[in-house]
Amino acid sequence: MEGRRLPRFTMTDGGLPAGLWLIGLGPGDIGLMTADGIEHARACEYRFLEGYTATLPIDQEILLESVIGPWKRVMRPQIESPQNILELAKESSVAILVVGDPMQATTHIDLEGHCYDEGISFTIIPGLSAISLAISLSGLQSYRFGRQVTIPFDYGNYLPTSPLEFIYANYANNLHTLVLLDLDPSGMGIDPPSPMMPAKAIGLLKAMDERLIEQESSIPKSMDEAVADWKGILLTDLGTPEQRIVSGRLEDLAMIESGRIHCLILPAEFTGMESEAYRRRLLKH
Amino acid sequence: MGRKEDNIARATEVMHQRERIRNLAIAAHIDHGKTTLSDNLIAGAGMMSEDLAGKSRVLDFDEQESARGITINAASASMVHKVGDDDYLINLIDTPGHVDFGGDVTRAMRAVDGCIILACAVEGTMPQTETVVRQALKEKVRPVLFINKVDRLINELQIDGPEMMKRFEKIILKVNKLISTFAPEDVKKDWQVSVQNGTVAFGSAYYNWGMSMPFMAKSGLNFKDIFEHCAADDQKALAKKAPVHEVLLDMAVEQLPSPLISQKYRIPNIWQGDLESVEGKAMMECDSSGPLSLMITKIWMDPHAGEVAVGRVYSGSIKHGESLWAIGGAKAERVQQVAMMVGGDRIQVPEVTAGNIAAITGIRSAAAGVTIARDKDAEPFEAIRHYSEPVVTVAVEPKAMKDLPKFIGALQGLAKSDASLQVKTNQETGEALLAGMGELHLEITVYRLEEEQGIKVKVSEPIVVYRESVESNNSGRPFEGKSPNRHNRFYLEAEPLSPEVVQALREGHFGDGTIRNKDAKSVGDKFAEFGMEKNLMRKIYAIHGTNVLVNDTKGIQNLHETRELIIEGFNEVCKKGPVADEPLMGVMLRLVDAKLHEDAIHRGPAQTIPAVRNACKGALIRSRPVILEPMQNLRVDAPNDVIGGVTREVTNRRGIIEDMPVDGGTASVIGKMPVAETFGFSNDIRAASQGRAVWNTENAGFEILPISLFDKTVGEIRERKGLKPEVPVEANYSD
Ligand SMILES: Nc1nc2c(ncn2[C@@H]2O[C@H](COP(=O)(O)OP(=O)(O)OP(=O)(O)O)[C@@H](O)[C@H]2O)c(=O)[nH]1
Ligand SMILES: [Mg+2]
Repeated sequence: MEGRRLPRFTMTDGGLPAGLWLIGLGPGDIGLMTADGIEHARACEYRFLEGYTATLPIDQEILLESVIGPWKRVMRPQIESPQNILELAKESSVAILVVGDPMQATTHIDLEGHCYDEGISFTIIPGLSAISLAISLSGLQSYRFGRQVTIPFDYGNYLPTSPLEFIYANYANNLHTLVLLDLDPSGMGIDPPSPMMPAKAIGLLKAMDERLIEQESSIPKSMDEAVADWKGILLTDLGTPEQRIVSGRLEDLAMIESGRIHCLILPAEFTGMESEAYRRRLLKH
Repeated sequence: MGRKEDNIARATEVMHQRERIRNLAIAAHIDHGKTTLSDNLIAGAGMMSEDLAGKSRVLDFDEQESARGITINAASASMVHKVGDDDYLINLIDTPGHVDFGGDVTRAMRAVDGCIILACAVEGTMPQTETVVRQALKEKVRPVLFINKVDRLINELQIDGPEMMKRFEKIILKVNKLISTFAPEDVKKDWQVSVQNGTVAFGSAYYNWGMSMPFMAKSGLNFKDIFEHCAADDQKALAKKAPVHEVLLDMAVEQLPSPLISQKYRIPNIWQGDLESVEGKAMMECDSSGPLSLMITKIWMDPHAGEVAVGRVYSGSIKHGESLWAIGGAKAERVQQVAMMVGGDRIQVPEVTAGNIAAITGIRSAAAGVTIARDKDAEPFEAIRHYSEPVVTVAVEPKAMKDLPKFIGALQGLAKSDASLQVKTNQETGEALLAGMGELHLEITVYRLEEEQGIKVKVSEPIVVYRESVESNNSGRPFEGKSPNRHNRFYLEAEPLSPEVVQALREGHFGDGTIRNKDAKSVGDKFAEFGMEKNLMRKIYAIHGTNVLVNDTKGIQNLHETRELIIEGFNEVCKKGPVADEPLMGVMLRLVDAKLHEDAIHRGPAQTIPAVRNACKGALIRSRPVILEPMQNLRVDAPNDVIGGVTREVTNRRGIIEDMPVDGGTASVIGKMPVAETFGFSNDIRAASQGRAVWNTENAGFEILPISLFDKTVGEIRERKGLKPEVPVEANYSD
């Protein structure tokens, strides 16, 4: 891929050619959508909002229609078996609108593959992602982050421990971890998202820790303190007017019950400036 | 104090003396006289009028039991019997003989230490006789033999002394052969029964007399006396001199073990916990001051008290008003009543102690097979293994929609009190599938719904429950199952297990469910004893019924944390096979490779379970799937002149005749027939033999459905379940 490779068009010469346009909406507030994104979304004949990797607040959904025109919601099954959408994209311009930056959701690379196989034109229009907001707004240095992890919901006896293993590996290398929280308890991508709350996420981290001990895992525990005493930064509803960023012990962050979507940063040892940034964000009781 | 009250007072007294307790079941082929005998024992011990004994069948107190003249529920009764100067407490369980209710026999055996096997002197040992002997021995319950209906040998068949001895010999020989085949190795010799050692008695339960070697010695009576009394039509006098209850209860006291003795060898057989622990020691020693350990063997619905749970106290004592756990239940519950059973009467007592059979109310989460203890985390008893599984199903729905809530409630009650009944309800349509052990079992269940619960219902034709399996394997050609997001792939191979392994699985030899990592090695070694590859079987993941899942992959990252989900996918396929959504039987599924997404969020349940499910199903389709149909062993006895009609009925129904012995004027047809063909057999055979045929069946496991019937049968099952009638192919599971 070279350059931005956007097919040229103007609002007057009959819209976009046939193809699939993967358009990032930014983290939640339509105000943070790029002009490029708005223009292309408007110009597409069909618009689908992908509704399972993230969500928009309800007022923003309404606003979206007035900014780009009518849209329809699609869930995981239609994206993972995208035959209907692809057929449409062979004849018309189709926008798939994704909250955040579209390619940050692992699964969407699939769409590129499908389009490539079927000779359908495929274009990505990036959006501002919650991940880069999280890093920027945490006050920590972006180069000091290690691998990012997502905490999935548990299911019966099933509880993967690899997220915690990655966190330990980051600690061991003195790297911060950005922890995203699952928002689809069923994992089917068919229900409206119900994002994991801080208490649940921290509870799951504790459960993973217990399971690692129980399994006599060979993973070195790079943290001596109990999970409840770890330092954390909780970032809530990034890029919206309700945005809130607080730091503190996980035990205390777990008490926070307000907010819609959360993510968490588990910092490694701070460098000088970072520890001041952490202190400025401390949760006030 | 009346005699009955006096007896109750003595019973509550002896209950505490463990060496003076005998817990025993009476088991036999249908109609051989179990209930008649049980009545007799109860009456003899003063718990009911002696004139009624043998005629009223008190233990068949259920209305359906009286109406049909057969026993449906195992019922228990306690009584006191004196030997020398000592009182003994006899806790007796009468069991049903009809094959449909065999599950009740299995459960009753868990509660007792000894068993009186009855055999009718005229019919001899029959298929169910063999089954009940096996059921007893499996639980390490010691058998003794009572040959019943001897009056008929003398009065109807006019048999002389030597001929009678010959008949007895034949029955004894057969029972001993069963014992040496099925008894645990260490008791095969000791448990053989014989007239000489006093473990065989004979007599007439109906005419209330009995005889045994020790009793002859004690009373001075002999064979000649028996013949004389019968000839003089004065069996009443014989009953006075040799009352059957005395003969048999003497035999029980002298020959059968007390709980103090039997628990030492029975506990290791039924409890997996540490025998050196406080609980283990208390049970081994039948200690009533130890922690409570009780196993429920029967639930029945009392019109007044509601659910009554009956079970054996193995250690400790159960007291009125205390708070207990049904292991696996959600909360502790209070015991409302503690009682002993006497015929239809429940006699309340303050407590029942170790070694006895108790009836309790208040523990709502109790069900047959559940362990009751004071500690929530107590180690439960081994599950009770049943010999046969439900093979016939009917769909039932209330005629009036307004009855729906009551209908669902009634079914839940029935399912709880009848552990052999499987109920699946669809809460929306109100349709329920009742799976039972046979036509009679379901007929009675429907009768209960209609008459006892007052709900009019619509009942479908009987539906046979089939099994799915494979004939071949797809070794070297694994089937790939993909997750919906296509980031995860599982590669599975299927193959049939040998009949020996399937049988051992059915008997619970290897355990059931998810195999813990730390147990995999020892479980694998057990499979190796059956000729399976040791190194492969040590990688076992799970057992579901008669199917196993093995992880035969190497070094796949993150596989371990996906284990539960893989097992869940496998379990789903075991419940609903690839061909017709029928349960899977006798298959090994082998995971040979997997590709997993690195990030756990993309290989959660919604991705992994369907991928494994499809991989398993595709592997099964690739391994030449077969349908297994349930079979019944069949024996029809009829006069020679009508036997031709009988054989015709049997062969018309795909029956296989294995033997046709002739004994004087009667001939027998012995063979096998598919359950699917048995519906209506009863009427047809009656017509074909002018009502002179007597027939018996017994569940005989599963056999491969002829290939010529495969498509048709699968199509019918699928249509009934609302699936597309076409038999699925690999492509159905590849995407
Ligand atoms: N002549 C004679 N008839 C007997 C004797 N014992 C029982 N019967 C009869 O045999 C029939 C069956 O007796 P039950 O006691 O109901 O038999 P069961 O074994 O309890 O039957 P199920 O519980 O249905 O298996 C009844 O008609 C009894 O009267 C006996 O010693 N002599
Ligand atoms: Mg009976």
